[in-house]
Amino acid sequence: MAEISLVDVSMRDGNQSLWGATGLNTAQMLQIAGATDRVGFRAIDFASSTHMAVAVRYFREDPWERLRRVHAAMPNTPLQYITTGMRFIAWQQADPDFMALTYRCLQRSGIGKFIMLDPMHDADAVIAGARLVKQEGGAQVMAALTFTLSEVHTDQFYADFARKLAACPDIDLFYLKDPSGLMSAERVRSLAPAVKAAIGGKSLEIHAHCTIGRGAVTSLAAADLGIVDAIHVGIGPLGEGSSLPEAGRMLANLREAGHSVAVDEAMLAKVSDYWWRLARAEALPPGTPQAFDASFTRHQIAGGVMTTTRRQLAELKLEHRFDEVIAETERVRAELGHPIMVTPFPQMVMSQALFNVIGTERYAQVSDEVLRYVMGKFGRPTSPLDPAVEAAIRDRPRAREIEREPSFPTLADLRRKFGPHMADEEFLLRAVMPSDQVDAMLAAGPSRGHYNPDAAPMLRLLRELAGRPAARDIMVEMPGLRLALHGGAHVA
Amino acid sequence: MIRRLFIANRGEIALRVIRSAQRLGIVTILGASESDKDSLPARLADEVAIIGPAPAAQSYLDVAAVVAAARAARADAVHPGYGFLSENAGFARDLAAAGIIFVGPDPAGLDAMGDKLAARRVATEAGLPVVPGGEAADANAAMARALETGFPVLLKAVAGGGGKGMKRVTCAEDLPAAISMAMSEAQASFGNPAVYVERFIGSGRHVEVQVLGDGENAIHLGTRDCSIQRRFQKLVEEAPAPDLPDAVRAGLEDAAVKLTKRLSYRGAGTVEFLVDAETHDYFFLEMNARIQVEHPVTEAITGIDLVEQQLLVAGGAKLTLDQSMIRPHGHAIEVRINAEDPAEDFRPAPGVVTRAAWPAGPGIRIDSHIARGGVVPPFYDSLIGKLIVHGQSRAEAVAGMARALAALRIEGVPTTTGLHRRIMADPRFMAGGVDTRFFENFV
Amino acid sequence: MSTLTPEDVAEIVAILDGTPYASLEIATSRFRLRVARESGDANPARAEWSQEWDYGAPASAMRDAATPGVPVLDAVPDGLASVPAPLPGVFYHAPAPGAPPFVAVGDTVSADTVVGIVETMKLMNPVHAGVAGKVTAFCVANAVMVETGTALLHISPT
Repeated sequence: MAEISLVDVSMRDGNQSLWGATGLNTAQMLQIAGATDRVGFRAIDFASSTHMAVAVRYFREDPWERLRRVHAAMPNTPLQYITTGMRFIAWQQADPDFMALTYRCLQRSGIGKFIMLDPMHDADAVIAGARLVKQEGGAQVMAALTFTLSEVHTDQFYADFARKLAACPDIDLFYLKDPSGLMSAERVRSLAPAVKAAIGGKSLEIHAHCTIGRGAVTSLAAADLGIVDAIHVGIGPLGEGSSLPEAGRMLANLREAGHSVAVDEAMLAKVSDYWWRLARAEALPPGTPQAFDASFTRHQIAGGVMTTTRRQLAELKLEHRFDEVIAETERVRAELGHPIMVTPFPQMVMSQALFNVIGTERYAQVSDEVLRYVMGKFGRPTSPLDPAVEAAIRDRPRAREIEREPSFPTLADLRRKFGPHMADEEFLLRAVMPSDQVDAMLAAGPSRGHYNPDAAPMLRLLRELAGRPAARDIMVEMPGLRLALHGGAHVA
Repeated sequence: MIRRLFIANRGEIALRVIRSAQRLGIVTILGASESDKDSLPARLADEVAIIGPAPAAQSYLDVAAVVAAARAARADAVHPGYGFLSENAGFARDLAAAGIIFVGPDPAGLDAMGDKLAARRVATEAGLPVVPGGEAADANAAMARALETGFPVLLKAVAGGGGKGMKRVTCAEDLPAAISMAMSEAQASFGNPAVYVERFIGSGRHVEVQVLGDGENAIHLGTRDCSIQRRFQKLVEEAPAPDLPDAVRAGLEDAAVKLTKRLSYRGAGTVEFLVDAETHDYFFLEMNARIQVEHPVTEAITGIDLVEQQLLVAGGAKLTLDQSMIRPHGHAIEVRINAEDPAEDFRPAPGVVTRAAWPAGPGIRIDSHIARGGVVPPFYDSLIGKLIVHGQSRAEAVAGMARALAALRIEGVPTTTGLHRRIMADPRFMAGGVDTRFFENFV
Repeated sequence: MSTLTPEDVAEIVAILDGTPYASLEIATSRFRLRVARESGDANPARAEWSQEWDYGAPASAMRDAATPGVPVLDAVPDGLASVPAPLPGVFYHAPAPGAPPFVAVGDTVSADTVVGIVETMKLMNPVHAGVAGKVTAFCVANAVMVETGTALLHISPT
């Protein structure tokens, strides 16, 4: 039937979906990079500005060093970086010169493929971002068609968006991105052909999360259409759950359906085994197949946001109005121009719905995020805002304050601030992160490069025992392992 | 891309290659002689192929046997380690003919650097200074060349290398006999009686530069000093080479890169120089087109895994490192622990190691295939392990090495451990910058 | 845990260094490691750590034992007959766990004597001696995977 390749999202999207993006450090990725390179993936979903910030803040590791070393260990498989185009770590959009420098450094350090994701589906914004990437190097640019359910996000909508982008020479390929796992097999059978007709010879990939159990079946339905070239997957414990379909199972299913997939199955098993041993050693929860939740296709609010909102209502003794809030969410979303329900929008929309329900009148209380969104700081909304609502939101002193907020400094200003001699990569981090965090990262020195999942639990045990010397001699016995510590201080 | 790697070597370097290859997800097949089938590398490799009986000539040096074993094992590539067939162009050619990648430079590169005279010519063309001297087609020519160069001279085998087959001659009277001996030794050791003549530089330091190339680009990873040698065999190595003016260091590094680029060299290599300890004039000696025994000291100061780089380049990748990424820090020293008895003129002492307590701790690295019960067979070299210590400064590295040696206990065979303890305590060594006369004065 | 890397050992030393412990011994089925410090002087702060590894059985014997069906004894010694496995599966010496084995070394058997069981896909298949004589050796340990034809035991024919 078709030739399908696989894109492995384990290290970035899998890690983010299942392990809060704080699950993996440089050594844990480096250890499996060589083997991953040998599987034959089309690309590896490797980084985003969130991940780079987490490396600095949480691990005190240099994200540029991580990128360089992983790229060196896996030179044959392109490393993928996802971006909204004009932002790097900071929530504000940066100027084009700053982003150009960012793209230059990312490509120099080893990124071979960029995903341009504009949440508002603003074609001009995507084209501008793609242009910047291409002027700084030869990496591929893949445009995201981010799936959501709404009256405006029809097949026609996506096809029109794709057609505009396909005409741009700086955009090489496309993917159907379904971060909430909402797309059904039935829908992909109309959506994918509509998009493919619009993009012609350019390649189409699919990235469908398994949040309500649909991701694998939808991806397979897409493969069967013969117009989708690659499926995004997560390996072993980094697949399923709110992550992507599990790689080994997807490979078997694709072959069962008669497709050919040029992947080294034995090497994939080896990589999967490593991730499983790591997950067990570090007590990280594996993704598990999810039950279908019909209500989710209606409100599209992730479980975490629902839980938080329910708790906030309980604190106000207003839990009985929860259903009202959910209904209000749909109304707010429409009035705000149908943002896709991907962070930060579900939180914004839901908290506004909460304010509207419990407040004196609708839009009496408005969060700063909604204000910024309405004022276009996140980009041009997908469809027009409800004029009355927009006017009501803008009519407050806080809106004027936000209007006067300084925008992100220009590249020239930032260079002046940090001096001309700072290396590009350090400069880019200092421009957007607190200096004490960058200082701490630099002070920590080069990252460790080795991780042994089999030894990790034993080392942890040893650290515990070392921290609380309880006896002169300690013997620990478990299946397959015996440990004996001798000569400790005598404990009275 | 390399998926199955055949390791055509033994001992600590086989273990070293297996470790890096397995980390890259490559399946490792160890080509072992009968006497090495129970060794530690055999235990850790994914598969083992017996390539022949114990004697090296029938196993590790038997080109046909190794090639056949690699083919039978369905290997994509062969890593030759150091010594044995690592610089054998015929071996590299036979592998290429069998469709197997040789992890190292291409045969033309091996030929160019394997013929030490041709190497001198290429180096000269690349603008590198060479030790005064030259070729000698026969005994008379050698005599003429030696008289021209001035005594003392060194007679070296054209097809030699690794410090083997070299003879020092101090005066003309000794020359005819020395030439005959050198030529017949060269024939016996290397299959080629040709020798060449070099001025013997008395007060010289052996400084070498580690390079990496991918056929187009080349970078250096800094210098090493290997001046402490016994009969041209290195005992102690350190990185970077201490006590060199920056201009000299830069000159050596640039010269090495220039030569590497000129050869369109692929893989890891070492460009060896003789540096006059007084004037700091330097002369190209030879280029070793393989991974070297002492590579760990360079790895310690740069953080680069050289075997991994070899495998990546051999697999067809371009170097992802550029010169700006090489930022050496600190100082590293390596000592070679040999199963030899210094009290018996360093007679090799094969046997079984009944106890092997190697040092452990921050900054300490052990490259060894010998654990309790480890066998040191009589058929090969006497290296049982390398102890490498890294410190923030040379003084810290020396002190660290002294402490590490104090913790080293090998029983069952005599070793050179005691000798190294004395070297670390020697004030001239501690001061740094010793030349090749150090050892003879030391003993 | 099949091995500890040099980085793991460095980590162990770093952990133990700040404690009063003088030694750690780790034993797994693959290796034993002892990390210990000895003070050359009386000063424990100047103690140097060392690592001692012990890998146990020789590699070739371990490999043979680990490879399914490869017998520990290489060839059938002269004058003896070998009893081959009739089909692939797991070879058991006894009819049930804890029960006495069918035969022991030194027992006399006839051609029809059941000398063991090969379990394949949950079915128990008896293995008959095939020749009358005395059992001289077992070639395969209990509960080991064998292939068709693998030598299971040696019999000295009468």
